[in-house]
Amino acid sequence: MSYCVNCGVKLDSSLDSCPLCHTPVINPNEPEHIKKAHPYPTEKGQVDSVRRSDVAILTIIVLLATSLSCLLLNLYVFTGIMWSLFIIGVCILLFVLLIPLIIYTKVPAYVSILFDGIALAFFLYLITFTTPGIGWFTKLALPIVVLLTILAEVFVLLLRAFPVSFISTALYVFVEIAMFCSGLELLIRHFTGSPLRLTWSAIILTVCCVIAIMLITVLCIRRLREAIRRRLHF
Amino acid sequence: MTASSKEASRFFSNTKLNKAEPKVWYKLDLSAIVYPTLQRKDFSSVYRLSVLLKEPVKPDILQQAIDMTLPRFPTYKTAIRKGLFWRYLEPNHRPGPFVQKDIRNFCMPMPFKANNRYLLRFYYYDCRISLEAHHSLGDGTGCMHVLNTITAVYLRLLGHEISNGYYVKDIYETPDPEELEDAYMRYANAKVCPKRPDEKSYRVRGTKEPFYTFNVINGIMPVKEVMAAAASYRASITEYLNAVLLYALMQKQQNDFHLRLRPVRIAMPVNLRRFFPSKTLRNFITMVYPGIDPRLGDYTFEEIITQVHHYMRYYINEKFLRGDITTNANIQRHPLIRIVPLFLKDFVVKQFYSKVQDGHSSAGLTNMGVLKVPEDMKPFIERFDIYMGQPFSSRTNCAIISFEDTLTVNFASSIAESDVERYFFRKLVEDGISVTIESNRTH
Repeated sequence: MSYCVNCGVKLDSSLDSCPLCHTPVINPNEPEHIKKAHPYPTEKGQVDSVRRSDVAILTIIVLLATSLSCLLLNLYVFTGIMWSLFIIGVCILLFVLLIPLIIYTKVPAYVSILFDGIALAFFLYLITFTTPGIGWFTKLALPIVVLLTILAEVFVLLLRAFPVSFISTALYVFVEIAMFCSGLELLIRHFTGSPLRLTWSAIILTVCCVIAIMLITVLCIRRLREAIRRRLHF
Repeated sequence: MTASSKEASRFFSNTKLNKAEPKVWYKLDLSAIVYPTLQRKDFSSVYRLSVLLKEPVKPDILQQAIDMTLPRFPTYKTAIRKGLFWRYLEPNHRPGPFVQKDIRNFCMPMPFKANNRYLLRFYYYDCRISLEAHHSLGDGTGCMHVLNTITAVYLRLLGHEISNGYYVKDIYETPDPEELEDAYMRYANAKVCPKRPDEKSYRVRGTKEPFYTFNVINGIMPVKEVMAAAASYRASITEYLNAVLLYALMQKQQNDFHLRLRPVRIAMPVNLRRFFPSKTLRNFITMVYPGIDPRLGDYTFEEIITQVHHYMRYYINEKFLRGDITTNANIQRHPLIRIVPLFLKDFVVKQFYSKVQDGHSSAGLTNMGVLKVPEDMKPFIERFDIYMGQPFSSRTNCAIISFEDTLTVNFASSIAESDVERYFFRKLVEDGISVTIESNRTH
């Protein structure tokens, strides 16, 4: 180990010069090859990149540019039907869907699903401007969207209120499929003026009921539950 | 299954997540409120604590030790979030933080959304384990508990018997609620708020290094020699080293080009746990500003040390410190300030800090004091290091820690010149202290 002739401090054997005064270390008694390992690593690091905000900005700009350019094209070049409303609607829908993913991650799930439902309904409403009537929207499309939104909200509520497991999630999914199909058939029948009864959805309802009963049984019997978890874990 | 992995699995079975439980969150403490507002792309309030072991570090065992230890410190296993009026910490259950290979330019900025939102980073290099923490989690004392407990668990996983005590906590005990509290609020009850220094201090001028550069110079010296040198001036080690840094800054100001002289002042954090009983592992420090005014005339070193000695005795006591924390707390408790949206608070605090507060001191100096570890842990440890991190503006920060008979003075700066460090260590050598220098500088 050498001393700095200028500062009088002892220098770590990894140093070639005094870091205080830059005087080089020349010690003929200490050959180069017995130098100690450097006390600090030599590799430099980089700050971890956070791309979320960049992606968000890019997405918003792309969606805005697409909507605006299509609207201008529709108004001044390809005039006729208001086809640009489809694209604007899709852009709005994409924007709303992407909010909780990349733009503002702290939106509560319930609010986010509600906004998604509203955006979907708004998109379908925009389509009515290019169709002869609005009846299909008010009597069929809107109720389906409302039903879908309610079921999605209930699904999240169930996941949050009760302990989550693969089997319980499967149970919620099958019950909701049954409810959605039944609701869908009833809404279609109401729209077409047919009598309100279940036909094709009754089959789905039956199958889902059987699966749901099976899953409830598995959830109630611990031994079965463990066996299923063991064999189906991923 | 090995004994260590059995221990780990037992531990994790107790810390399973229950979604039905109410969500825990923590308000930022009084000091921690400021640090996130100063966040820039090239600056974060990050500091580093290191322990140098006698054997090379095994990263996989270290990772296991971290995974087992961190749940014991719930306020450190958190992510920072923005509310409408204040930021807050919420438990972070994401994977990590993961051990990484150490880098030369450490104490890099810590974006809140990076690193799986953890505000802690762990590094290993040869025999060194390093922990970098954002200051909004806690101060050096709090973080030293985390590092020492991780080191103890790491040594236990290697098969050594290490007992709990001092900075080593029992990882299987439930955290004491007092460890998680904002201790400032308990003691911020003085009837009057003393004034703060409001005069601009001398600023070290230097060539700013490019981003991704962090210059470190370590001085390692025997405690006995420093104690003897301090005793020869009838001062404590902290007073002596403070005086040496003031002396170095004064020389730097005199020797550099200047139009007029300015007061030389050091920002020194004081550990409030010494005066107000608290077990908190979060921030519980306040700043004092010992200094000299060269405009009054030339100071000899003896005069500086007398000035620092009396300043410390006068200001660092329970009464003055209580007044100081009350001043800070009153700002935070003011109803009008509380209802101002966070982005406005951020803007005002940042402006105030960069234009006023940062100019109050010429350098920072922190002294962790003597670090005690359980007797059976001592044989495995060479020494401890502490780094104050990137300075907010171009200046030098100095951190001191001692373990057994080794005292380490770590200078961290973002300027190319090392004049302050040179004056500092030369003065120590003049006073008969044998200093060994280590550095990561390449020029």
